[in-house]
Amino acid sequence: MLTVQPCVTIGSYVWAQDRLPYDEFTLRLDELRAAMDRNGWPAVLVYGDVREHAALAYLSSFIPRVRWGMALLPRTGDARVLCAMSTRDLPAMRTLTWIADVRSGMGPEWVNAFDPWFERFKGDQAQKLGTLSFDIMAPVLQAAVRRSLGERFVLQRADDVVAIPARRKRPRELTMMRASCKLLEAAARAFAESWRDNHEPETAALDAERVARSLAAQDVRTLVSLDGGRTLIPFQGRFEKCAGPLVGYLAAKVLGYWADMFITVDDDSVADAARHAEAALDAVIANMRPGARADALHAKAVGALAPYKLHPALGGSIGHGIGLSLHEGPEFRASADATLVEDGVYTLQVGAADAKAGNALTSAIVRVAAKGAEVLVRSRPQAR
Amino acid sequence: MDERTSVKKPGRLAAATRYLADQALDGLVAASNGLNNFLESNAVYVFSGVRPIGESAVVLDRDGASTLIVTPAWDEARAAAASSTDRTIGADDLATTLKSAVGAHSLDLSRTISVGLSLLGGALADRMTSALGALPKAADELARDLARLRTPDELAAAEHATWIAERGYERLLEYARPGIREFELAAELYCFMKKLGAEDNFLLMSASQHNLAVRAAGERILDVGDIILSEITPCYRGQFAQICRTTVLGAPRPVIGEKFAILQDAMGEGLRAGRAGATVADVTRAINGVIAKAGYGDYCRPPYMRVRGHGLGITSDRPGDIVDTNTRVLESGMIFVMHPNQYIPESGYLMCGEPVVVTDNGARALSARPAALDVIAV
Repeated sequence: MLTVQPCVTIGSYVWAQDRLPYDEFTLRLDELRAAMDRNGWPAVLVYGDVREHAALAYLSSFIPRVRWGMALLPRTGDARVLCAMSTRDLPAMRTLTWIADVRSGMGPEWVNAFDPWFERFKGDQAQKLGTLSFDIMAPVLQAAVRRSLGERFVLQRADDVVAIPARRKRPRELTMMRASCKLLEAAARAFAESWRDNHEPETAALDAERVARSLAAQDVRTLVSLDGGRTLIPFQGRFEKCAGPLVGYLAAKVLGYWADMFITVDDDSVADAARHAEAALDAVIANMRPGARADALHAKAVGALAPYKLHPALGGSIGHGIGLSLHEGPEFRASADATLVEDGVYTLQVGAADAKAGNALTSAIVRVAAKGAEVLVRSRPQAR
Repeated sequence: MDERTSVKKPGRLAAATRYLADQALDGLVAASNGLNNFLESNAVYVFSGVRPIGESAVVLDRDGASTLIVTPAWDEARAAAASSTDRTIGADDLATTLKSAVGAHSLDLSRTISVGLSLLGGALADRMTSALGALPKAADELARDLARLRTPDELAAAEHATWIAERGYERLLEYARPGIREFELAAELYCFMKKLGAEDNFLLMSASQHNLAVRAAGERILDVGDIILSEITPCYRGQFAQICRTTVLGAPRPVIGEKFAILQDAMGEGLRAGRAGATVADVTRAINGVIAKAGYGDYCRPPYMRVRGHGLGITSDRPGDIVDTNTRVLESGMIFVMHPNQYIPESGYLMCGEPVVVTDNGARALSARPAALDVIAV
C-alpha cells in the first residue's frame, strides 16, 4: 500500500555484516556481471531514492535516508557510491554499504565525484553503460548525468535485461523477511490490543509503530480507517474516536526488508465480511505454487469473496511481491499473466466491501515453496 | 484547528491566479512526486493544502478554477475533504487524468507554466509528455516565491511545531540514559511527538564522546560522557520547525561548556543580524564572525559544518540555505532555522539552533527556551 512518505527514515540503518556479509554481495553481483558481459557494459549505474531503492540496496546495501543515492558498479575494479548528502555526512553514509568509496553527489561535488570515475572506460568509440532504476530518477538529475557523460558514453536501460532484485529470494533474504514478519506480528498485536483498550485508531496505530521502532524497525507505515473500513487514511494526528470495527494497515522494514499486514478487529458488525475475506485469503494461499498464474489467483479470491466486492483500497489487486521494496512485482490483477516462482515472497491482500454489510481487510505474506506455500505471517480474524 | 479547515488557503490560489493574469498566461500545472523533503517546497501542498501520498498535480486556470489530482485513487476522499481546490479527482494514472483536466480547464499549453514537473520520475515525466504533447514551460520557483512569507495560520502552525519540538526535547532529557541504543531513544522521541500531533519529523539524533557531525540514530549504545546531538524537526499542519540541541550524559568536561558558549554567542549575533532588509549573507557573516573571532575561522566550511541554517518546507524553503553566497534579502514573515552548528577540535561537533521568524528588528526565535548545554545526571 502506498502511504505518505516521511521526510527522513529514522531507525537503525547500518550494513549488517553478520547477516549480509560481503560474500552475499559478490554472489548478487555475479548475475549483474554476467549481464554486463552479455551486453558489453563495462559498468552499470544503479539509482535509488528514499522511497524506492530496491536495486540499489540489493547490490550495494546502501539505502538513501533522504533524497537519492547511486552506485557506480564496474565489471572489474572498485565501485563507488554517490549520495545526495554533504561531505559532513559522509562518515555516517559509509557505514551503510560494503563499498568503501562513498562520495557526495551534491552541488559542486557532483562533477568531481562522477566524471573522473569513468575515465578508465574511455575508448575511441562511445562506450555503452547499463542503468538500473533510472526510470524513477528526476529529469534534472538525468540531465546532469548525461551532461557529465557527454558523447563518451551511451546509457542503456538494464532493467529489462536483468531483474534486480531477483524475484526469487536468496536464503539470507528469506531469513531477513522472517525477521520482518516476526517484528510485524508483535507490532500488529500492539495495534489490536491498544484498540481493545479503548484507544482511538490513530493512537492504536501509533502504539504499534512504537513497538516496531523499539524493536529496531527502520521504517514504519500505518493507515487507519475512521469510517468503519470504507476508506483508509494516513496519520493525521487528529485522534478521533469512531464507531465500528478497527480496520488498519501496518508495514515495517527490518534490515532493508519490508513486511506488511491488514488488521481488522471485528466489533460484531462485520463478521460476515471478515469471514468472506478470510475465505478468499485461504483460497489464494491454497493455490500458491511455482508456476501458478496471478490472474488465476485473483479469480479465486474474487470468487470466494462473492457477493462482496474486492475492497476499493486494493485498487483491483489481491497482492504482489514484497521484499526490499514494499511494492515489488508482479501485481496480482484480473489481467495479470505473471506466474509465481519458487522462493518468491508475496504479500496477499484481500478485502471485502459492502455498503451495508461493512468492510474487512486481511492479508498474509507467503513464500512459495516447491510444493505449496509457507505462510510467513498472517493477520488473524479478531473480535473485540 | 483542524486540517479540514486550517488548510483552506485560497490565498495561494488567488495569488497564483493574479500572477497568471499579470503574465498573460493561460494556466498553471503544479506537480509533486509524493516525496516530502523538509528543505523544499511541495507545490501541490502550497496550492491545495493536501499532503499527497503519491504523485499528484494541481491544475489552475486564468479564471481561478482549480483541480487537484491525487494518486492512488483510493485517497480521493481524504484529499477532497482537505483540498482548497474547486475539484478533487482520485486516479491511478496521473498522466492520463492530467490530460483530461488540462482539457477540462481549456488550457493552452503554450501559455501554461509548470511547477515541480522536473522533480517527477523520468518515466512519469515521459508519460506526461506523451499524454500532453509537450510539457508546459517550467516556473519551478513560483510556489516557493508565492509562499515565502508565512500566513498567520502558517505562523501559528510553525509556533505549534516549535512547541512540539521543545516538548520532544524535554522527553529526551527524561528518557536518555546510559545503556539504551540511539534508535530506541529516537523511536521514543518520534512517537512522543507524533502523539502531540507531529505528522512528520526530520529527526536526527546521535551520540559520541567526540562527534564529527549529527546523523540519524543507529545501534550505538549510550554511555556516560556521551554528547547527544539532536536536530528535532516536527512538522505540524505543513510547517516544519527545527531546534538543535546538545546534551551531555553525565558531567561534561569544562571545555565543552566553553566551546558551546561560542555557538550561543554566534546565535545571538545571527538573531541581531537577521532583520528585514538584511541579506542572508549578512546573517552568515555575523555568525561566522563570532566563530572566527574565537579562533575557528578555518572550520567555517564543510565538513566541519554544513550551513548556518536553512529554509523550512513544505510550503516555502525561502530564504534558502544560510550561506555567505546567498544574497537574498530577508523579509518580515520569512521563517527559517538558524543554527551555528559547528565542529570544534577540542569538543567535537556541537549543536545550537532555533526556528526564527524575520521581523523589522531582527530574527525572533519561535522557541521559548534557547539552546543551552544540558546535562543529564547519571
